[in-house]
Amino acid sequence: MGLSSLTSRAMIRRILHTTTTTRSHNFSLIRSIVSTPELNNTASAAAEPTPDPPAPPPRPPVNNARVHFPNPEDAIEVFVDGYAVKIPKGFTVLQACEVAGVDIPRFCYHSRLSIAGNCRMCLVEVEKSPKPVASCAMPALPGMKIKTDTPIAKKAREGVMEFLLMNHPLDCPICDQGGECDLQDQSMAFGSDRGRFTETKRAVVDKNLGPLVKTVMTRCIQCTRCVRFASEVAGTEDLGMLGRGSGEEIGTYVEKLMTSELSGNVIDICPVGALTSKPFAFKARNWELKPTESIDVTDAVGSNIRIDSRGPEVMRIIPRLNEDVNEEWISDKTRFCYDGLKRQRLNDPMIRGSDGRFKAVSWRDALDVIAEVMHKVKPEEIVGVAGKLSDAESMMALKDFMNKMGSNNVWCEGNGGQPQADLRSGYLLNTGIADLENADVFLLIGTQPRVEATMVNARIRKAVRANHAKVGYIGPAAEFNYDHEHLGTGPQTLQELAKGSHSFFSALKNAKKPAIVVGAGLFEREDKDAILSIVETIAKSANVIRPDWNGLNVLLLNAAQAAALDLGLVPESDKSIESAKFLYLMGADDINLDKVPSDAFVVYQGHHGDQSVYRANVILPASAFSEKEGTYANTEGRTQQTLPAVPTVGDARDDWKIIRALSETAGISLPYDSLIDIRERMRTVAPNLLSMEEREPATYSTLIKPEVKKEIDPAPFKAAIENFYMTDAITRASKIMAQCSSQLLKK
Amino acid sequence: MASIVRNTFKAIKEKGLGNFLREFREEGYLQTKIHNLGAKVVGVDQYGNKYYENMNVQYGRHRWVEYASKNRYNASQVPPEWHGWLHYITDHTGDEILMLKPSRYAIDHKENFTGEGDEKIYHSKGHTLNPGQRDWTRYQSWQPGKS
Repeated sequence: MGLSSLTSRAMIRRILHTTTTTRSHNFSLIRSIVSTPELNNTASAAAEPTPDPPAPPPRPPVNNARVHFPNPEDAIEVFVDGYAVKIPKGFTVLQACEVAGVDIPRFCYHSRLSIAGNCRMCLVEVEKSPKPVASCAMPALPGMKIKTDTPIAKKAREGVMEFLLMNHPLDCPICDQGGECDLQDQSMAFGSDRGRFTETKRAVVDKNLGPLVKTVMTRCIQCTRCVRFASEVAGTEDLGMLGRGSGEEIGTYVEKLMTSELSGNVIDICPVGALTSKPFAFKARNWELKPTESIDVTDAVGSNIRIDSRGPEVMRIIPRLNEDVNEEWISDKTRFCYDGLKRQRLNDPMIRGSDGRFKAVSWRDALDVIAEVMHKVKPEEIVGVAGKLSDAESMMALKDFMNKMGSNNVWCEGNGGQPQADLRSGYLLNTGIADLENADVFLLIGTQPRVEATMVNARIRKAVRANHAKVGYIGPAAEFNYDHEHLGTGPQTLQELAKGSHSFFSALKNAKKPAIVVGAGLFEREDKDAILSIVETIAKSANVIRPDWNGLNVLLLNAAQAAALDLGLVPESDKSIESAKFLYLMGADDINLDKVPSDAFVVYQGHHGDQSVYRANVILPASAFSEKEGTYANTEGRTQQTLPAVPTVGDARDDWKIIRALSETAGISLPYDSLIDIRERMRTVAPNLLSMEEREPATYSTLIKPEVKKEIDPAPFKAAIENFYMTDAITRASKIMAQCSSQLLKK
Repeated sequence: MASIVRNTFKAIKEKGLGNFLREFREEGYLQTKIHNLGAKVVGVDQYGNKYYENMNVQYGRHRWVEYASKNRYNASQVPPEWHGWLHYITDHTGDEILMLKPSRYAIDHKENFTGEGDEKIYHSKGHTLNPGQRDWTRYQSWQPGKS
């Protein structure tokens, strides 16, 4: 106690001493809290006008963003800190500053949300304006002279910061946002080194938003980003603002959970630590984490993600910006499935003994047993099935291996018995995910994009909000987060549409940019060729396919599907499973194994002990998507790749390496030893899988399609996905996903 | 004096001459006992080490310890509460300092076992020789239970 009072007394004495001796230096005992002292005596500042400093060189735009001019004649010129910048009409002052390369501090402004203008952090000085203006809400006018680093602007921001920090708790050391907090960063620039607030801080009761989002509402600065995100992007009016003044708080009005499949994104957009990740809470600090830029495989969208890992553990998954795929959002399944990567892992090769129990063995023994059995069965009884999480390289190796063994029965689960891989346009989202937001009429056939491909659903919702697009839906009763018209439940509605007798057909025909989206769940139907041909008839008669616009789409379900079809993983016979004597499952957990003959030898190669291991005779442990470099093609045909973030577990190996080793044991070595070699092999089969980060659109043609003679089964369409949160081996092993499906799913 | 001689004979008779001489050697041919003459036993710690003080000898040599173990002793056998007293850091004896010991979390003193064998010496939590070695596996493997 004595020490602090002593030092402060000593400091006061020293200050008094200096003030008496150096009075001419304008140093007073009571120091202002504002770091712009010249504003305190404006008279002296005005008395000595400083000459204009030489203009600094122009800067590039923030984040090197490109400025898009919809109409070149609408460009206006404004001056930011003395520099002339050309911007399109309708830009705000803040956007103009960004073009000029000046980053304006902000809390409430978010480029993908509507403008609220309530945090006041983005205040700038505009010439001839009596007071500082909030740049995020002020449209830029021609010839406007904007000053961003003047003393007035700085003082205004310092005042705003002081008010924000008044009620913000000082718990940064235990806050999960600490280190990546906007408020923390900006208080370094505009915060004071002391507080003048002597009253008690306010406190707000925490809300329960479910198993994913943790709330510490006392930290909230009422920027309302989460409220705007929930109502605009997620489409669930869950969050709102309650009360006014110091009683203002974010809440759910009544006690309820946030039931959106995009709810995890509020964690990213929250500028402070009010909304943080519940599974990640207190697990790690963000500066300990190693970022790895990768791709999500839990659905066919291929969202761009960043895997943050610490040592051998994936600590969290956050989105990466890709305007063409997922913008800057990801679904909850993508974000929170990572704890499944740590549970139920296969880490040793195992052989089922004669007593029916598995025993861990060495790789050599396991491969020897498989090679021996493979040579005993007839080539046409060998069947290979790739799983829904398989990468293109391993599927290529599997197909080559099976072909070398003499079998042509190799396919990928989810593609149905007899997939059509001949025409690439027959299984891709031809419009492209980004272009879907330009469409004005949607016809969704047997697909519920909200659970099948959340990011595609966000685009459709964007189109509904922005262009007032009409959505027609054929399928079982489903939940949508935008206005839609439920046309029917089965193929009968399709037939009506094809005849042109249905009322929705005229809407489709008169649309400027119509889009038909067919769900890949229909691939499992017996009559899928007939359904696809009737959809094509509708597309043709409604003029959906034009030279500049291809509106006929297939929305795939799994990450591996598009690449599998690109590589031609099509079985020779559609009864391959029933006649199999040797079944090679490469991570295939969702195929029906009841029809496999009881004397068949089943090899399961995968990373999780999920469903198929219980039927397997030999288990080969493989690496998960976070542990390997693999190529994936998403539903629109965009090739992307995962990168290893963490080491493989136990004795597991990469999928293609296992198949390569097995081929050598079987005496028919595959001719590649590295990823580069295997990609060279892929180049000869599907060259589009080598142009990374690029989308290869499919050329459309119906001329060479064989005529379909099959009858249409009038049975209604079924939902492709029962449980959004648990669709594959990783998500089924995840505890968080299990919590979500028990708490958030509507029963 | 006579009693000393009588006790000596009694001890020789009980233990035998060989054992008596071995003990005699281990105790330093009475050197310690002679050194302890005139000194006051200030305290005995939980391990049986005796702490002596003799204010009549030269200052700085007036405190010493007689280890409980006569053949295997080293300075690390002195527990921390007596260390300060023994090294003239404080005049509070170990018994007095022990009264301040927080029983909630303070762990017992352990002497330095270096060179005494792998099973005795300290191993860090991740060391292979530590019987309670921490499991650094960050995943849970699938257990082949029912088929």
